[in-house]
Amino acid sequence: MSKDQKTYTRFEVAQRIEHIVLIVTFTTLAVTGLVQKFAQSSISISIIAALGGIEMTRIIHRAASVVFLVQAIYHLVAIGYKLYVERKQASMLPGFKDLQDAFQHFLYNLGLRNERPKMDRYNFVEKAEYWAMVWGLVLMALTGFMMWNPIATARLLPGQAIPAAKVAHGAEAILAVLAIFIWHFYHVHLKTFNKSMFTGKLSRHEMEEEHALELEKIEKGLIPPPPPPEVLQRRKRIYYPVAAVLSLILLFFVYRFVTFEETAITTVSPVSARAEDVFVPQTPTPLPTRPPTPTPFPTQEGQILDGPLSWNSGIGQIINQRCGSCHGAMGGLALNSYEAAMRGGRSGAAIVAGDVEASPLVTLVRDGKHPGKFEPQELDLIVRWIQEGAPE
Amino acid sequence: MANSHRLPPILRVVTIAFALIAIILLGVAFLNQPQSALAEASLSEKFQLPNNAACLSCHMVEGQIKEFPNGDLISVVIAPETYGLSAHATLSCQVCHTNISGYPHPENLAQSSREYTLQYQNTCNQCHPSQATELMDSVHSRVMAEGNPNAPICADCHNPHQQPNIEKDEQGRLTTVEHAQSAMVCGQCHSTIYDEYAKSVHGTGVLVNKNPDVPSCIDCHGVHNVSGPSGGAVFRLSSPQICADCHTNEQIMSKYGLSTQVLQTYIADFHGTTVTLFEKLDPDQQINMPVCYDCHGVHDIRRSDDPEKGLHVKQNLLATCQKCHPDATENFPDAWLSHYIPDRNRYPLVYWVNEFYKYFIPTVLGGMGLFVVSDIYRRWVVDRRRKRTFPAETDEGQEGKLESTNTEDQSEEKPAEEQNQSMDDNRQDEENSQ
Repeated sequence: MSKDQKTYTRFEVAQRIEHIVLIVTFTTLAVTGLVQKFAQSSISISIIAALGGIEMTRIIHRAASVVFLVQAIYHLVAIGYKLYVERKQASMLPGFKDLQDAFQHFLYNLGLRNERPKMDRYNFVEKAEYWAMVWGLVLMALTGFMMWNPIATARLLPGQAIPAAKVAHGAEAILAVLAIFIWHFYHVHLKTFNKSMFTGKLSRHEMEEEHALELEKIEKGLIPPPPPPEVLQRRKRIYYPVAAVLSLILLFFVYRFVTFEETAITTVSPVSARAEDVFVPQTPTPLPTRPPTPTPFPTQEGQILDGPLSWNSGIGQIINQRCGSCHGAMGGLALNSYEAAMRGGRSGAAIVAGDVEASPLVTLVRDGKHPGKFEPQELDLIVRWIQEGAPE
Repeated sequence: MANSHRLPPILRVVTIAFALIAIILLGVAFLNQPQSALAEASLSEKFQLPNNAACLSCHMVEGQIKEFPNGDLISVVIAPETYGLSAHATLSCQVCHTNISGYPHPENLAQSSREYTLQYQNTCNQCHPSQATELMDSVHSRVMAEGNPNAPICADCHNPHQQPNIEKDEQGRLTTVEHAQSAMVCGQCHSTIYDEYAKSVHGTGVLVNKNPDVPSCIDCHGVHNVSGPSGGAVFRLSSPQICADCHTNEQIMSKYGLSTQVLQTYIADFHGTTVTLFEKLDPDQQINMPVCYDCHGVHDIRRSDDPEKGLHVKQNLLATCQKCHPDATENFPDAWLSHYIPDRNRYPLVYWVNEFYKYFIPTVLGGMGLFVVSDIYRRWVVDRRRKRTFPAETDEGQEGKLESTNTEDQSEEKPAEEQNQSMDDNRQDEENSQ
């Protein structure tokens, strides 16, 4: 049993931290990205609201993508260290054996083979996941860059590359998330709960099941021993500066990625805010700006002035026209005939022949106390007519 | 009657009392009926107001001008012919001009013609309460409340001495002539906008072709509760819906060969997604993402193939993009799919990327799924069954699942090949028997 309880170190602390950071960034990117892809669904809308709106969601998504890229750079440096300084085997590189293993494992599952294939430090399940991740990172970074910097992209590529990038970005996201659910969750959570990414250790049984070949090598002492310290020191002196320069260059790329172009978003105010003046009344205004010229009175003025003044020669016509609409057949004072006019109304005579000052027809109108009015020359004619005895 | 005979006297009294109360209540309800615009036709008779002839005897005479202290001049002539054709023809002047009951008229303190008009601000409310209430919600009332006296009141749009009854068809829609007329009313104060509108595809449709499918001002901005983009973002953010009301209506759009996918494709795009989300989550937030009218024109909307402004013309589209993206180059407008859903001929790259993933995703996930299912089958069906069939092989008992599988696996892999062979045979036998 002591052999069974033996554990095998699989992941160093740095690798475990890297994995936790990856969990956080991947989940953040997946959540903030998928709610943008399915922005009209009610679940997305509530998540976006909880995150503080779509602008904030986008900012979080972009921040997470930067963390993701920086982490990728760290990962490259770490691999470089393992391969150059420690001279470890490139155990994650896929090969023909992995295809074979996958096929044989499948046959084993179906009961067509008796044994599981013996697999090395990284088996085909892990390699598939790792390289899918690498592929996803490269594709997401490229398509993400195109969407983040559409104007720069359109200088090099046809414009439709940007919506195409959006399609690829979204589809790849769905693929990645579902692959995590189907492949990753099954293999490390459902099948058996593989805690090595958190504890760093695998049990002997787990080694046998998934890394039988590596176990064999360990037990046969085939794993090369770590290089002597002085060799390590020498290689480190070479590797660290090279890695520093390389990672600085890569970090500069990330910086350019973020700041490549100043998008219109922050620089241009909404078009509608530049609207013209709304209130511009039509000119000329419908209201008269100066009094229209008075319409000339349509009586045969000359005729009246020539002959002697009488009711029938024009005075009656003036009075009828000016007063008739009220002082007609409505009762009270009627001015629609000579007899009625001379008879007067309830308050007495309207016209007193020969006495202008006693004739209210003239005085009321002349003093402005009556709504209806005569034109000045009309009033003159009426005054003259009364002075002349108001003949019929 | 037969029943009431049998009622005791007290109940009979109660019954009669109830009947009386019911009649009174009915009467009160009848009296309280809201005044409608039609009910006031008899007002002049009811209140014994003077006949209009007295007023018209002066006010029908041409050339009468009222001068205000600030120098404004207004015509106070009422033409009996036009007044007689107006909706108010049967009303006494005094229904509205309540302060004028004789001659000379009481002194009016208005300093300007505008002040004079504004004195009648609440007059229409008496007979047209619902329209007056709608007006309260309008941008016009808001501007008025902010202290701008130029904001219109009822009389500015509906000249009370001339406004005839508005003609509507059976469905209650304005007749095409009224529809066109309504735009001209707005044009009285919004003349520059009107001039732009009159040249637009909508304006010519309404004003020239008298086409009822085409919007006049009121169809987008509302009739009395007029709203616009000033003061707050609500109008702007919800404006795509205004356009979509017609532009997603298959019945109308099919007549003109226009696409009804315009809203859907807009919302699917970055601009539309953002606008829609802001409308739902933060409707008061002013944002710079374009709505329909930022690209297609606010009032000067042209046909898409209009050489001067139509967005189907590539230069025009680029110029439109450059309004917000000043650095945009020739390729850039293609990033916007022009409301099309990509297909083999239009935006083929987008189409093929989409097609690729349509097969790529199921293939990859299907492959993964197939393996996972086979693994589940092996572990949870085959191995378990074997465990039940050969319990003796698990020398550790069933204490820990891990350990039990562990030992089982050992027994599977370590023992001599013959044993393995026999186990396998057993298993296969089992399967065959089922």
